[in-house]
Amino acid sequence: MEPVVKFDNVTKSYGKHVAVENLNLSIERGKFVTLLGPSGCGKSTSLRMLGGFETPNAGRILLGGKDVTRLPPNKRNVNIVFQDYALFPHMSIAKNIAFGLELQGHDNQHIHRRVSELLELVQLQDFAKRLPSELSGGQRQRVALMRALAPDPEVLLLDEPLSALDAKLRQQMQIELKSIQEKTGKTFMFVTHDQEEALTMSDTIVVMNKGKIEQMGDPNTLYGKPGSVFVANFIGETNLLRSTVLGTEGDVAALNWNGITIKAEQGGLTPKAGDHLYVVLRPEAIHCSAAEPTSVNRIKGKIRQRVFKGNHTSLSIEVGDGAVLNTLVHPSDVAQISGEDIWVGWKAESTTVIPDRHAHN
Amino acid sequence: MRNMFADAPRASLTAAYWAFILYLLLPLTLMMAMSFKGANYIAFPIGEWTFDWYVQVMQDKQFLDACLYSIMIAAATTVAATTLGTWIAMLIVAEGIRGQVVIFAIACLPAVVPGMISAISLRIFISTIDMPTGTMAIILGHTVHAVPFVVVMALTRLRTMPGNLVDAARDLGADSVVAFFRVTLPYLWPALFGGMIFCVLLSIDDFVRTFFLGGYRPTLPMLIFAKVQGGMSPEINAMATLVLVVTAAVGLYAEYMTRRARTR
Amino acid sequence: MVTSNTTAGYGAPRDAAVPRYSTRIAKIVNSSLYRHTLGAAVESRWGRLILLAGVPLVWLIALHIGPIYQMLKISLLSHYPVQPGVDSQFTLANYRLFFSESLYFSPLIKSFIFATVATASTLIVVYPVAYYVAKVVRPEGRSKALLLLLVPFWAGELIRTFSVIMLLANRGAVNVLLREIGLIDRPIPMLYTSFSLGFGLVYLICLYMLLPLYSAIEKIPTQYLDAAADLGAGPFTRFRKIILPLSKDGIVSGCCLVFLTCIGVFATPMMLGGPNTVLFPETISGFFHGASDKWPVGAAFALIMLVTALIAAGIFMRLVGGRKRSAI
Repeated sequence: MEPVVKFDNVTKSYGKHVAVENLNLSIERGKFVTLLGPSGCGKSTSLRMLGGFETPNAGRILLGGKDVTRLPPNKRNVNIVFQDYALFPHMSIAKNIAFGLELQGHDNQHIHRRVSELLELVQLQDFAKRLPSELSGGQRQRVALMRALAPDPEVLLLDEPLSALDAKLRQQMQIELKSIQEKTGKTFMFVTHDQEEALTMSDTIVVMNKGKIEQMGDPNTLYGKPGSVFVANFIGETNLLRSTVLGTEGDVAALNWNGITIKAEQGGLTPKAGDHLYVVLRPEAIHCSAAEPTSVNRIKGKIRQRVFKGNHTSLSIEVGDGAVLNTLVHPSDVAQISGEDIWVGWKAESTTVIPDRHAHN
Repeated sequence: MRNMFADAPRASLTAAYWAFILYLLLPLTLMMAMSFKGANYIAFPIGEWTFDWYVQVMQDKQFLDACLYSIMIAAATTVAATTLGTWIAMLIVAEGIRGQVVIFAIACLPAVVPGMISAISLRIFISTIDMPTGTMAIILGHTVHAVPFVVVMALTRLRTMPGNLVDAARDLGADSVVAFFRVTLPYLWPALFGGMIFCVLLSIDDFVRTFFLGGYRPTLPMLIFAKVQGGMSPEINAMATLVLVVTAAVGLYAEYMTRRARTR
Repeated sequence: MVTSNTTAGYGAPRDAAVPRYSTRIAKIVNSSLYRHTLGAAVESRWGRLILLAGVPLVWLIALHIGPIYQMLKISLLSHYPVQPGVDSQFTLANYRLFFSESLYFSPLIKSFIFATVATASTLIVVYPVAYYVAKVVRPEGRSKALLLLLVPFWAGELIRTFSVIMLLANRGAVNVLLREIGLIDRPIPMLYTSFSLGFGLVYLICLYMLLPLYSAIEKIPTQYLDAAADLGAGPFTRFRKIILPLSKDGIVSGCCLVFLTCIGVFATPMMLGGPNTVLFPETISGFFHGASDKWPVGAAFALIMLVTALIAAGIFMRLVGGRKRSAI
């Protein structure tokens, strides 16, 4: 199926600073796509280019097959939900939502119907005549979303819309946003630097760094099989074990990590002895016990730090020659781990390996 | 709380404030009182109190004409100055325009130049463009005088406008013109209202420009000035009091409206 | 149709009126007239630029700069308005005339002196009041306190000048009062003197000084003063070392504004001054009203006044205000 949005070799620079470099990205219709990355990675710039607020220096942007690269924002069929909502302060929220519809030339009845529909979608029917200043942050957020949806754009752009909300409200809104996206079937392009948010809501995540795409895929893949150190570090907590290959046995490689021998599944790679790799080991994949476990990888270590985090306790465990593993234990298992000594273990299939690009392989 | 000021300075400062208020209001109060004098000359004590002067003034054709004339000029000035001032302010805040500081400086020029010189330069100017002295020239002069104030008021308000508002409007389908009229202008309105009142007051009170640019028909200040030259009389007090009361009422109304808008 | 069982929303059972949306906008924007004029203009960058900058720039150049430019041009001519048969040439004679006789330059000097004295007096009189409103009055009461001060302001230059007469006339309030309480036998002639002019000037301009001072003093964080008092500074020390320096910007802009206004007052000297107080504006006016063909001289004098006033203000700003540029 034809992608609804296509960035074709798009480059954008401000003077000497290159914000986006040769971006090639296709977005499928009806999906919730998130651009994820640290500040300055180019995600907001890409969004704004799609919205029409920045013009690429090179490349094309296609929307529904049409080249919209040079079109001004008012002529594109995309709408943005701004980070600070940008609701028109002198208009009631009904009029705010109706703004785009009025410009599309619909008659009064149609506009009224659509506005009421949208207000109902977010349970704000009773607030129709209120001004934005009379609403709470979360309510304004919803109005901004409905205003952007009203003109029925092909793609809805959301520029870190939840960053101004407090934690609880944020979580609530994440669920609501996802539900609205599913109900309306619209393509959402979401920008955020919060990886948890991205994992919660997205169908597809595009991880960006320094103006380029690091990796693109569904949340499971990105979490479980990160393709680079950057992605591994950025998404979720992880232990990155820098190791050297000792040898391979079928699908499993034996590696030397800080003097300890560990086994890891090779995935798609074919490493030779002497290659340098990173083994990505998530904290929750490590099993802690007082007695020696039976898993392929088992190491004795000493607990150096415990941090209580509510639904789990984080442990920093020193193994071997000063190497540290971060892991976590559930409240029910904490009682077992009383002393300093502890055994950690994990399966070879629980890890992913990433080549070390900086080493001379 | 403010114990630091609970000593001599506080009491004397309060006294200074009220003494100053007295100083400001005293001459005006005296002027108003004198308008009720039941005699043909200016002198205290008042003696006989009467409304006769007011009756006379309200029936004075010349006075009524001057009132109408002043109001008409004020209205025209307000429309012109508000439009121009807003336009200039929009130019100054627009993105991608260079030399904004220079434009702002030129816009403020008439407010910096002493009134007399402004009036003279305008007198010369209209002569070089073959415009006769009279109503149009007065309106022109008042407008030039008022524009800097409108610009400053509009600019102050514009700078508080979130940059995203116009972007949001354009995103939803509005072109620059529609965005201006549907988003920017309503946002500006409180400042423009204040500006308009300011224009009205500035125009009604203006003397020096009217003096040089006007023709035979007098505005209110010109009328009062001419009468003073002709000899003091409580009649002039009555006229002045009327003008004072009306302009004070306009000013207070504007303050009240501004205050209401601010608490929304 | 959307229904809801509340009355605050749009779904009230009693077939509530459908609100009216601005449907005309689309009609206007899509109309042929709009599309061919404004619509086409805003589509191109140049169109937008002309729409935005055209009128303002024309106005600014023609009417803000234009008159000053014309004044300069005329001041360099020998004759204006140009009569048929007479040749008008470039000359500096008009400027030379200024320096030639005391009759011409002493009014300017007088204007400067009056303006300076008036500015200084106003500063001293108004500063405590500005301080009071900015710091002593509680924040909620400040706008009311200011309002009371602004009310006389709206009356206008002429009326306020006129009202001073009631105070200072031979049978005005002051003289009558002094006579009633037996301090004097005959009225003190206060009108038409330097004193009455000075008084009237201060009366007129004190509010122009108030607002810049007020806003500068208000910006001084009260914590500074608290901290100073905490460290043992008395009220005068606090004033000298904290309030005064930090309000410098307000003092400079207030004084400049007031000075420039004083230099240019026209009606007040005519109404309150006397034969000894011929100020420069009156001198200049003499070249315009009545005698024709003296316009170039008037223009030259006006320009001299403008330049000297601006230089004086500029020097003051540099001296007192330092190298910072203060916005007017």
